[in-house]
Amino acid sequence: MIELKPTPLATVSPGVPKLLQEGYYVRFTEAWPATHSAVRGKLFQIAETNPVPYDVFHTLPTNDYRDVDLSNSAGGENLYPTNVNELYEVLLGFKPGNYLTQIFIPAGEALSRLGEASMNPSPTSATLRYLGARKPEDSPYDDKRIFMYFVKDLEPLILRLLVDTGIDFEKCVLGFTVNKCRLSHVAAPNDEQMRKAKVIRYYSELRW
Amino acid sequence: MPSLTQSMVAPALNTVFSLGRGNAKIKPSLIMVNNVLGLQDAIITVLDTFLPSASHGTPAPIPWLIPRLGINVSMAACVSMRDELKDVMILGVLSLLIGTADANCIVTVAWDFQ
Repeated sequence: MIELKPTPLATVSPGVPKLLQEGYYVRFTEAWPATHSAVRGKLFQIAETNPVPYDVFHTLPTNDYRDVDLSNSAGGENLYPTNVNELYEVLLGFKPGNYLTQIFIPAGEALSRLGEASMNPSPTSATLRYLGARKPEDSPYDDKRIFMYFVKDLEPLILRLLVDTGIDFEKCVLGFTVNKCRLSHVAAPNDEQMRKAKVIRYYSELRW
Repeated sequence: MPSLTQSMVAPALNTVFSLGRGNAKIKPSLIMVNNVLGLQDAIITVLDTFLPSASHGTPAPIPWLIPRLGINVSMAACVSMRDELKDVMILGVLSLLIGTADANCIVTVAWDFQ
């Protein structure tokens, strides 16, 4: 449900749409918990889409951080769908600046960590602040490379914006494109549909 | 690219050129100080005024006013700056402050949003 797409090594012509399109298939793995029974293990065809751009910005002092909750919970940015038959494909890009972004889902659990117990991102550490941190150049505002997939009532995804040292303040500008996708359940998918479908994994599958 | 010309008549107040934009920084691209008819040397400071967001270390932030560039222009002189501004960024409101108010000191500022 979270992907960082690398810089392409080759181009194809005609170009491939970056966003999910009407008629595309998506398949949710069996790892989605029972609380998401509406999508768990099921295949859907996208009935319609509507990409919505949105910006979030914060000016923060040096060596300090702020958590940005993308969910619909109180104080969140409300970027999650409100219906079970909707999937939000959310692209995230950054305007340039001296800041780092850590991803947590749910709150307190870093998406990017290593096996050794101490190798968890920490904003107060001079070294661990860089562990798994995404820099603005990793996903530019005009060429967004971080893709997130949200369904109704998914656990809150937190972006921790950390202004690195060496500057007084920084304005962190996050550019989102929320591609609203209405899902149509395919009750008896065939092999071709299963093969074509984009697999949407649960976050626990990404953090092994 | 917007621009604005103003007389530096406000002594204790900043002369505001752009209120800025939430989702962008201001990048000044030109500052021209016309002090040809000025009554004294013009000592001008480019200011950045903003209210930070609440953060982990500062849950109740206060407004900040940070000088980003200082310019001294002699009486009877006119100075234009472009390349010198390439690394100057304004996070909030772009304003200029003059040491001694002078209606004959005319400043033009042009800027982009980034």
